[in-house]
Formats: sequence, C-alpha cells, structure tokens
Amino acid sequence: MSKGVKQLKFSKYLGLRILTWALTIWIGVTFIFFVPRMFPSDPVENMIGRIQSRSGQMDPVEMEALRKTLRVQFGLEGSLMEQYLSFLKKGLLQFDFGPSLMSFPTPVGDIIKTYLPYTLGLMLVTTVMAWLIGNFIGLQAGFRKHRLSSKILEAVAICIYPVPYFIVALILQIVFAFILNWFPLQSTIVTMGGFGMFIRSLIRASILPAISLLLLGTGWWIISMKSLSGTVAEEDFVLYARYRGLPETRIGRSYVLRNSIITQVTALAMSLGGVFSGSIMTEIIFGYPGVGTLIQKAILQSDYNMILGCITISIVAISTATLIVDLIYPLIDPRIRYS
Amino acid sequence: MKRRVSAFLVLPLLLLLVFTAANVYAVTEVGTPRRETLIVETQTPTDVPGQFNSYMQGTQMGFGIHQLMSAMMWEMDTVKGEQFGEVAAGFPESNEDFTEHIVRIREGIRWSDGEELNADDVVFTFNMIMDNPGIGASAYYNTVFESVEKVDDYTVRIKTRESFPRLALRFGVTIWGNDLRIVPEHIYSKVDDVTTFKDSNPVVAGPYTVHSYDPLGKWVLYERREDWQYSTVGVVTGKMPQAKYVLFKYVGDDTTRQMAMVNNEVDILCEVTPEMVEVMTAMNPNIACWYKDFPYATSDDPCSKGIAFQMAKEPFDNPDFRWGIALAMNFDEISLNIFDGVGRASALPILTATSAMQELYYIPLLPWLEEFELDLGDGTTFKPFDPDYAYRMAEILRAQGYDVPTEHDELIDMFGIGCWKYAPDVAEKLFIKAGLEKRTDGWYFKGEPFTINMTYLADTEAQAGRGLIAAYDQLVKFGFNCNLASESSATWDSNAATGNFEIAGYWPTGGITRDLYSQISGWDADLIVPLGERGSGQGSRWRNEEATRIIHELAKVSPDSDESYELGMEFMKVAIKDLPFIGFHSGVKFVPTNSTYWTNYPSAENPYNGPWWWWSCFKYITTEITPVQ
Amino acid sequence: MKKFWKHANGRLKVGIIVTLIFLFLGFVVYNIPHVNPFSYNTYGRRLPPSLEHPFGTTSMGQDIFWLLIEAIHNSLVIGFIVAFIGTVVGVFVGLLAGFSGGWLDRILMVITDTFVVIPSLPILVLMTSLMRGSATVILMALVLAMFAWAWPSRQIRSLALSIKERDFIHTAWFSGEGTVQVIVTEILPYALTWSLSNFMNATLAAIASESSLAVLGLSPANLISLGNMIQWARERNAIFTQQWNWIGPPIVATVLLFIGLFLLITGYNDYLSMKRGR
Repeated sequence: MSKGVKQLKFSKYLGLRILTWALTIWIGVTFIFFVPRMFPSDPVENMIGRIQSRSGQMDPVEMEALRKTLRVQFGLEGSLMEQYLSFLKKGLLQFDFGPSLMSFPTPVGDIIKTYLPYTLGLMLVTTVMAWLIGNFIGLQAGFRKHRLSSKILEAVAICIYPVPYFIVALILQIVFAFILNWFPLQSTIVTMGGFGMFIRSLIRASILPAISLLLLGTGWWIISMKSLSGTVAEEDFVLYARYRGLPETRIGRSYVLRNSIITQVTALAMSLGGVFSGSIMTEIIFGYPGVGTLIQKAILQSDYNMILGCITISIVAISTATLIVDLIYPLIDPRIRYS
Repeated sequence: MKRRVSAFLVLPLLLLLVFTAANVYAVTEVGTPRRETLIVETQTPTDVPGQFNSYMQGTQMGFGIHQLMSAMMWEMDTVKGEQFGEVAAGFPESNEDFTEHIVRIREGIRWSDGEELNADDVVFTFNMIMDNPGIGASAYYNTVFESVEKVDDYTVRIKTRESFPRLALRFGVTIWGNDLRIVPEHIYSKVDDVTTFKDSNPVVAGPYTVHSYDPLGKWVLYERREDWQYSTVGVVTGKMPQAKYVLFKYVGDDTTRQMAMVNNEVDILCEVTPEMVEVMTAMNPNIACWYKDFPYATSDDPCSKGIAFQMAKEPFDNPDFRWGIALAMNFDEISLNIFDGVGRASALPILTATSAMQELYYIPLLPWLEEFELDLGDGTTFKPFDPDYAYRMAEILRAQGYDVPTEHDELIDMFGIGCWKYAPDVAEKLFIKAGLEKRTDGWYFKGEPFTINMTYLADTEAQAGRGLIAAYDQLVKFGFNCNLASESSATWDSNAATGNFEIAGYWPTGGITRDLYSQISGWDADLIVPLGERGSGQGSRWRNEEATRIIHELAKVSPDSDESYELGMEFMKVAIKDLPFIGFHSGVKFVPTNSTYWTNYPSAENPYNGPWWWWSCFKYITTEITPVQ
Repeated sequence: MKKFWKHANGRLKVGIIVTLIFLFLGFVVYNIPHVNPFSYNTYGRRLPPSLEHPFGTTSMGQDIFWLLIEAIHNSLVIGFIVAFIGTVVGVFVGLLAGFSGGWLDRILMVITDTFVVIPSLPILVLMTSLMRGSATVILMALVLAMFAWAWPSRQIRSLALSIKERDFIHTAWFSGEGTVQVIVTEILPYALTWSLSNFMNATLAAIASESSLAVLGLSPANLISLGNMIQWARERNAIFTQQWNWIGPPIVATVLLFIGLFLLITGYNDYLSMKRGR
C-alpha cells in the first residue's frame, strides 16, 4: 500500500467520522428539543403557579393577562417547527439558547457560564484521579490476582462500590459535617469577600463531594480494570511471554497494561465527556453549585431553553470525546486500521 | 510515659478551649459576626441572584426581599387578622359607591438614600404598573383603576372604574404579601425599562438593605439601615430591628436542614415534619416550635389541605359521589398518617379553620352542621357530621403518652370542631345513587371498571402529599381501584389549569379576613373553561349557580358590613351541601426556631405575631427577636 | 453439577449462594400469600422487630419484612429486564456493527452514539417526571433500558474490532466460515465473559438508577422498590429517629445483592480461566 493511498483512506475515514459526529449531535439535540415539549408541563403555567401558590390569590382577569404577557416574553408563541428552526440556527450554530425561563431574561449561556467551572473543576479532578488510582490498583489486582494485598484491595472495592451513591454521600455528610463538624453541611461559596475567602470556601465546599466521588469512581475502575487485566493475563501471548522468561513487571507493563488499557481509555474519554451532567446527585446532596442542579431545576420548572442549553453542551462534549477516542484508537492498538 | 499521658489530657482540653473561644467570636460563612447575624432559611435558592426589583419577572420575593425591604401600602396583623397602614396612614376614605378613594400617606418614612417617601412615589408606582404591559399585574390594574393622582405630598386620590369596596384588602397584604410594592420614584423614573431593571443595589423603605449576595443564588446578606428609624418599621413601631445582619440562606434538603439546625448554623427554619421536630428538639434543647411541647405545630396557616375534585368529569361532578368519598375515608387514620394526629380538623370546603375562622364561621355553623342531612337515594337520610373527633384523637394521643389537655375549648382549638363520619356502608349507598355499580370484582361506572386517578405535588408540602397518599390508602381499602401519581410543580400547574386530574391533593383554600370575597371569588362558575383549556382560577370547575350568585352579590358589598358576613355564611352552607373540596386539616406548620444566638421568637406563649417568616410581616418580627447575652 | 461445584472457587460459591438467596426471597418467598405491604395502618405503627414482624413496622404501620420482599422482587425485575434488553441488544448491535463494517456499521454507530452521548440521568429525570403517574415496574424498566444498550454495544464493537484482527479469526475466515458462523463459534464465547459482567453491571446500574430517581423523588409513588423504600424511610426521617429496622434492611439488601452478583461474576471469570488453563 503506497503512502498516498493510505492518506486518502485516512482522510475519507476522517470525513466520514466527522459526519457521524455531526449527525449524532443533531439527532441527540433534536430529541432533547422535542421531548420536553411533549410534556403536559408548561413554563408559563409553572410561573403563574409559583406566583399564585405564594400569594394564594390572583384575580381571574389578572391571571389571563399575565399568561399572555409571559407567552410572548418566553418566545413560546410560534409553531413548534418555527421554534425548532430558530433553535437550530441560534442554538447549534452560535450556542445561543435564548433567555432562561426560570431566570428570565438572563441568557442561558450566562447562567451556564457561572455554574460550569464548579462542575468541571470538581468532576475533572475526581474523574482523572479515580481513573489513575483505580486502574493502578485494578491492574495489580488483576495481574497478580493471588496476592493477599490485591485480594484485600479488591475486597474493599467490592464493599464500597455497591453502596448506593447517596448512602455513601449521606454517611460522609453525617460523619464529617454533622458529627465532626469539619466541613460545612451545605457548600456555601463566598464570591464577594475577596479571592482568599473564595478559595477557602471553595476548597471547604469541595472536599466532601470529591471524596464521595473518588470512593465510588475508584471502586468501579478497580473492578473493571481487574476483570479486564485478569482476562488479558490469561491470553496466550502473556503466557508465551512468561515462558520466554520476561520479568513480571515488564509483562505487566508492556503486555497486560497495554492490552487492557484500550477499553479503559475509551471509558475515561467517555466519562470525561460525561462530567457535564454527571454530578446531579453529588450536587443535590452536598448543595454543591453546578450544571447538574441547574439541569434538575430546569426540568422541574420546564425551562426548555435551559434544558436544551445544558444537555446540548453535554452532548457535544461526549460526542467530541468519542470522536477523539476513535481517532487515537489506532495509535494505541496498532492492529486496528482506519477503515 | 507519665508526661505523654498528661499531654494526651492537655491536648483535648486545649482544643476544647480553642473551639469554645472560636464559638464566642464565631463568624458566619459570609464573614459577619455570628452574634450579630440572624440566619433565616429560605425554601428554595433563587434563580435570579442579584435581582431585587419586584416588578421584574421571577424575582423571588421570599428571599428576604419582601420580608425586609419592600414597602407595602397596608400590612397584616396576623394575630388579630386585621390590616393596618404601612405606607398608607390609614384605610382609604371612599365615596358612597366606592369609586373614588382618598388614601393618606404616612409622614416621616425615608428611602435608604435619604429621600422622603411621599405621594409622588405612590402615584408613580401605580402608574408605572399601568403603563408597563410587561409587568404581570398591568392589565389587571388597568381594568380596575381609572386614575391615580396626587392631591398633595401626603394624599393620593384613586379612582376606580367600577365600585371597588376592597381596596386595602386587594392591594394590601392579607396572606403572605402583595404584588403592590411602592418603589422610589427618583430611581425608577430614570430607568428605561423597569421590567428589565435588576436593581442589584436597591434603595428601599424597609429596615434592611442588601449588604451582599451569592451570585449562585443560595444566600443574600442584609444589613440594618443606619437610619432605620426612618424606615417603614421604624416609623410604624418606633422599634429597632435587633439584628445588625440578617442572612437569608438556602439550607438544603431535609437531612441537611435538621443537621444545620442542630449545629446552630441556622436560627429559623421554614417548615419541617413532626419527625424532624422530634429529633431536633431531642438533640438540641434550644430548638423549639410554636408550642414548646405537644402538639408543637401551629394550625393557623390559612391554607387547609385536603382533596380536590375535577368536577367537569364524571362521576366527580356528582355531589353524591363526592360525599361518598368523604364518608368512605376514616379521618382518624388519615390524621395519624399525616402528622401523627397533630392538627386542627378543617373539614369544611374552601374555608380554612384558622383560629379566627373557627370562631367566625366554623363554630357558628355547628348547630346547622349537626342537623345537616344527606339523602341516600333509598329513602333514608344520614347526618354526616361527627363532632367527637377532638375527644377521640385526644384519647388516642394520650394513650401514646402525649400530654393532651382535657379542657373542651382547648381541645376544640387543638383538634377542631369535628370531621366527616367514617361510614363505608353509607358511602356505598351514595356511590350507587351516583350511578356506580358494585360487582364482585370491584366498582363499575357506566359498565366500565372504575378507576380513580389520584395526584399530588412532589417535594413541596409534606402535609398535602401525605394527606393524599393517606386518602389513596383509604380508598383502596374501601375497595376502589386507584392510581397514585406525584407530579412536579411544572406538570401539576399545567394539569391543574387544564383540568387534567381527577382527585388531587392541593390547597385551593384560605381564609384570613372576616370578609370572604378574596377567598371565594375564584369559585365563580363564570370562570369555568372547557377541559383542556387553561382557565383563570376554577381549576376544579365547580359549577354552582347559587354560589356564583353569592359571589357576584358579595363583590358589591362593603367588606366591613354585616351583609358581607351573612353572605359568607350563606356561601359556606351552599358549599357544604355540594362539597367541592374535602378538607383534612388547616395549614399545620412546624416552624422551628433555635434560641442559641437569638431569642424571643413569636410562640404560643408570646404570640405577638404568627411564625410566618416567609410573609412580608417578618419585618415586624425582627424588632422583637433579641440577641442572647 | 457436582463436578462444577467441586471446581468452583470460593468467590463463585459465595456469589451463587447470595444471589440464590435473593432470587429465593424475590421470587419464591414473594409468592407466599401476604397482605398488600403498601397498605397503611395494617399493623401498629413503629413496632419493634418481633416474631410476627421480623423487621418491625414503619411509621405508617406497614410490615417492613414484606415491604422488603416486595421491594427485592420489583428491583430485581427492573434490573433483570433492563440488563437483559441492554445486553442482548447491545451485544447484537455491537457485533453486527463491528463485523459488518461499511454503511451498516456507520448507521448503527450513529444511532448508538446518539444514545451514548445523550446524558442518561437528566433524560431519566425528564422522562420520569413526565410519567411517574402512570409508571409501572415494566414501564420504568423500559425507560431505564433505553440507555442500557448503547454503551455495551459500543464496547462490544471495540472488542469485535480488536478480535477481528486476531489470527484465529483470520484462520477461521480463511477456512471458509461465514460471518455469522464466525461470530457464533469464535466471537460469542469470547464476548460472553464480558456480556455476563455487563449483565451484572447493568442489573446493578438499573437498580442504582432507580434508587437515584427515587431519592430525587421521581420514582412512581406507589412502586415498592429498594430505592423507594429507602426514600420513604428518609422522608419520615428514619435515619435521625434511629429506626434502623426500617432504613437498614433496604440498604443492607442493596449492598448484599450487589456483592453477591459481583462475586458471582468475578468467581465465574476465574472459574472459566481456570478451566481454560487446564
């Protein structure tokens, strides 16, 4: 195969892959656009309900007038198709999702910008840390599965991973925040008292959520890496390497790790893409600010624009991660060619 | 060795010292001295941090904004159930046919930037609402008011298009707050569009101003005005709000809230369940509710919870069916399942049995209720009212070891005048009269198996949710086939308006003033729209000619007249006969306070105000809450 | 069978026993006639554990033991339906895509990718907040299954791609076996280990998703599941009132269930590799 043909093949592959990427995003986003609109819930009624349930009284005439005003303001007047087209144009191409309905008229983008750094900071750090620790332990446990230490580590992972996340979170909260009083019960982040105070409050607020995420994340990576490397370690080429008398560490590094890490790298890329929406439970339990709570609030209040904004970003992030994984895949596993 | 032991002893002691010292000089998370900061819970974080203009969409007034800063025309004395002037110097002086009203403005109030609050501000606010279609209330104000103009610096003349006898009731506070909040003319008149003006650094007439806020929407720190004596509260009462700072803060879910309260990280919680009260009072002796001991909760919240019907659907449109439902449920069990039997029964539809309403309407209705009969369709009749509930519940709770009073009046105050009887055999007759059919495999309606869909709102009022689940349990036990659904508020609000429900646990109820108009006007049959369309009120779609006639008549009557009261009574009898809503209890609120840093909260022993931290009257409570020495 | 048991390692044995206990509780004990455990005030409220009520009763007078049995049953049913659909569809789509290549692969992957990239929890929150009124065990399972197949099918495709290049496949190919035959005889056994571990994960993920939704208050209000049972206890403050007999059983059951399934699968993997090694 000449170099030119190979390159042509690669660019064809790349083109197709990028087309797939675009298609995926489009289908996903369309899904997210229409699903909430099929629901009986309605942001206008919700807003009226919120005003009414508090004041307990609203004149009928007043309510009708308010309803009209809100429909126009929220941009919910046109037909579904008109709304969809204008969303495609603005949302997908310019990342402009319009005003948030629950925080009217602040643009969705501005609100996401406020919350995103918190989610990203917490999730990126914990995901990568959990991946590194988990895979290291998992590899040891899988490759040297008969050692006592690997058995103990695995036993610990088995015992922590299955506990429902909110139970772990709750126990951490009760022990460290309530009984020991080391950390705040709810994350209060002070942004207005200078940089030092901000960092202090941010760290204080992040430690418990981070520990909870690490505990479970690590458990999962240990378990999956262990089973992967355990399988690889039984493969013929590993046995062959053993017969050849290669040192165990070298077998571990160049054979087992290299062959089982592929799946794990894919999984890591995907979890990184998933951090945009992956912290709903953490954020709710610890009151940590972030996109997860934003999505939940948006769903509960039918803030269509906000739902779209958050989930579109998440979809774009995950599909881009997948794209990158697919492109670097052959670099890790030379047996696979672009095809 | 010895030295080490002593070191082990000294170290904890040192730590203890450090911690206690830290406590004395404790600061809040926002950097204010804890001893000068009153921390109040707000039930939801705000979606619009930094937005304090009440005329902009979505401003969350309950985040301390209307509790501490807003200037209302008339405020509510929640204990007496009477209004008083806040910005207004008294009640409007109306002409004979209630079309022209003179309102005098209280002298001496100043805005927080030193400007005087006078008739200009009031006139400007009215006209601003009427001239800005973007303000929610605008269209309504235009239908009511013909003109609002200044007579002199402290007098305003308001002309209404039609006879409007309830100016103070409608545009002053009765329940929670009111959407008429006077704004400073010298600020708002310079703003291009008042509906998009965030007003992040508001100039206010209330006793507190914004010190700082969380851009993520979880807290707002308020600071007492240095010239508080010129604030609304200062001028009205002459008293100083005691706390230098008030921190309104979202505390989190139920688990976190009680932990925060036990750890003294918050002074006032909005509303909790009895299970939480039990735990918190046991873990921290400084925590108390309205009553120090059983029943802890106050039953004076004006929204009774119970079950509502969709009366545009069959067979829910049939009063016999609704009465059947009422008699098929054992209220004693429901009551135990909601809040362990705590709460004043409020069986009558629409009107809540708050103390005031119980005295005004419930007790006077008692003789009539006891004689009231239902026609069972087979030639027999049945008296559905059961006045013994209070004694029975007291007995049950006493057996559980609670200290329940024996005095008749106290019992009636605690448990209400009575409830509907539990009579499944009678209920069966009523259902048959309503066209249902009982076969061996369950109930049928018009030849089809009959199923009731029951809905409640998730994550809001525990009392309402638990009430509906208990009702579900009762109706299933009775033999009905029922579905149980919880809905988020966005879904429910839409379903409630379009009538997409059958039986729901929510609270289209109320009752705080003697005049019932504002409470019952939403039950006007003229407001009914077909199922699927969004109506304005009347989500239940109760079609009753007589009730509608009474509402229309009441609209023209002065709220202070005897006629208003008589019409109210007449309305109640009509409503009871037709039973458009089955009440369970009045609003039962467990509202805990923590007296570690602050004390003298309103309570049953010292009821200078109701425990309504989320109402605009909270500003009058701040003058009474004093620091612990 | 006897031989299998003899060769099985300790973990596999424990896993089988624990899983069987749960299956027994959820599908045999479940069928012993009992009153509807959801029904309020059937018994006294907050009774301590006794012979009649092994775990006592709730604050609403429900028997905790029967609630738990019903919860185990429903959670297992949800878990199994989701895992079954997810694994079967996932393996099928993954293998098909991985081996067919070309346009079919691309179309399948676009669809799969769409479901991979749509974040599942927000959508589940969205879907359940719509239909929790009408949700039944089956419907709940179907919604969860919507997101359970895409990930395995991607994984299986990667696996297939990597296997496809290996020598023994080429050998099979050259010896004239058709794609389907290659898949069935050569790949499927290989993918089975992974599928089984995926099945276990999917079961657990489904039960965990359901509990997460329950804790957010989004699981159907009268669905007795492990998650809802924990949530009901939490709503009535069972943690702080220390009604451990109420909040404890569903948590312990969830944890044990997973440990059991996990031991089962790792034990099984070891058992297989041991057999292969012999």
